[in-house]
Amino acid sequence: MSYPVLGRDSNPASTRPAETMALNSLDLTAKQTLLTVQEYSLFAWKAVRNLFKPPVYWTDFLLQSDIIGVGSTSIVLLSGFFTGGVLALQSAATLAQFGANGLTGRFVSLTMIRELGPVLTGVMVSGRNASSMASELGSMVVTEQIDAMRALGVDPMRKLVTPRLYSCVAMLFFLTIVADAFGIIGGGFVTVFLNHQNGTQYFSTAWEALRFPDVVQGLVKPLFSGFIIASIGCFYGMRTTGGTEGVGRATIQAVVTASVLIIFVDFIVTHLLLTLLGVG
Amino acid sequence: MSHSTTPSPEPLALSKVVEVRHLSIAFEGPPVLQDISFTVAPGETRILLGAAGVGKSVLLKLINGLIRPDKGTVLLFGDDIFAMREDQLFALRARTGMVFQESALFDSLTVRDNVGYQLLQDPGIAEEEIDTRVRQALSFVGLAETFALYPSSLSGGMRRRVAIARALINRPEFLLYDSPTGGLDPVTSTNIIELIMKERDVHATPSLLVTHRLQDAFTLCTHHYDEESGSMVKLPKGQVDPNTSFLMLEEGNLIFNGSLHDLVHSDNPFVREFLE
Repeated sequence: MSYPVLGRDSNPASTRPAETMALNSLDLTAKQTLLTVQEYSLFAWKAVRNLFKPPVYWTDFLLQSDIIGVGSTSIVLLSGFFTGGVLALQSAATLAQFGANGLTGRFVSLTMIRELGPVLTGVMVSGRNASSMASELGSMVVTEQIDAMRALGVDPMRKLVTPRLYSCVAMLFFLTIVADAFGIIGGGFVTVFLNHQNGTQYFSTAWEALRFPDVVQGLVKPLFSGFIIASIGCFYGMRTTGGTEGVGRATIQAVVTASVLIIFVDFIVTHLLLTLLGVG
Repeated sequence: MSHSTTPSPEPLALSKVVEVRHLSIAFEGPPVLQDISFTVAPGETRILLGAAGVGKSVLLKLINGLIRPDKGTVLLFGDDIFAMREDQLFALRARTGMVFQESALFDSLTVRDNVGYQLLQDPGIAEEEIDTRVRQALSFVGLAETFALYPSSLSGGMRRRVAIARALINRPEFLLYDSPTGGLDPVTSTNIIELIMKERDVHATPSLLVTHRLQDAFTLCTHHYDEESGSMVKLPKGQVDPNTSFLMLEEGNLIFNGSLHDLVHSDNPFVREFLE
């Protein structure tokens, strides 16, 4: 005599449709994900390629550089300053256990320039600009402004996406330098005024610790972050459907995807650069 | 302009501005449009009638290449637009003008920049010339005073007129109007219809006009624009504009293609119901 096994449906006919449904759902999700990746790749490639064939809307490049670069300076400056300060606070206590208080400047500058400056700037600018690009373009899609632009003979990819992409890459580079600089200044402020250590020692160790590969590593990463922020923000904006609710959804997707991708790509780029540049 | 009592459905057609051949499209469900075929001749105004949601706006977007069909072709100025790449289509679209259902004005730009949008993209056109042409286009629609305003400060009717000015500024060879009077009060609707009539009778621009308001459609047939008085004038009793004819959609099918005379004498039950 056989007994039904716990946790397993005794009727094979009733399990098969459920399994098939699960497999179909998995299959559909995988296909949709692959399709989205394909569409994103084509979208990004088109946006990059547009710079090399007229018409190129240079005025829009300047306008977007102002919005992304100048507009994000204050948040990048403040977040850099306080992150450097926190690093100095945290590291001072740990370094004191080894009698290495004097290395706070070295610790802060290396951490900011190699890692935290680029990543923090990317995430902060992503929160501000990937969201604004997705919501702005998404609103234009749902109110037929993108269709109107196409009907007027103007390519929205050239007019809206390409300037945002290149401006974001260029501005992220400079914003990262701002974040790095203010991070080191923030660390110095904490070191001098809260930890009561020598400021000259802090800044000289911060400077002496830096090597060319560190700077290269710190300045290559924002190029990737800038590309991710603009391409993802514009991609989700341009494929918005479903009215104002769809605009909100596109904005959330853009910020979440861009932030996760920035950290993921940072990991990949760090690994590659450590191998290539031999930075220890 | 001459006016005929027995207009032909294909008036004065020597060649075709637009030729729609067997167009079909569906969006995740039953077909929106099925096997649609018709033409628009030079100087001709075609009025596309049909209930809301029947696919009129989709048909307009298909004709301008803004969306692609599942089947069929559209010849715009003799070019098969679905055989062209998107970047080739931009030059072709620049020769047409389109007025969208909700105006689709760029809300972050002033009226001046909206109306002069096409001109502003051309670095070879001086700012003074753009200003002059924008003022001319705005005067044509009677909104010269809105030059420096933003769309958000305009009424629905004014926005629609600015959209018409934007469509007309580059002297288009073909015009597409998507429910230009939808949601407007009767007085404003009549003003908009008068503008469309003015463009038809003064510049003889061929057009395709979508509407579900019979009154607007009949006004276009039974009136003409008088340049001397600067207003539309009713044609003598029994006369209609020979270059204005009708199309009607029902559940994705083109059920009528002909003149006003044919329309009002149609035996098709849906046409009868629509007219009554």
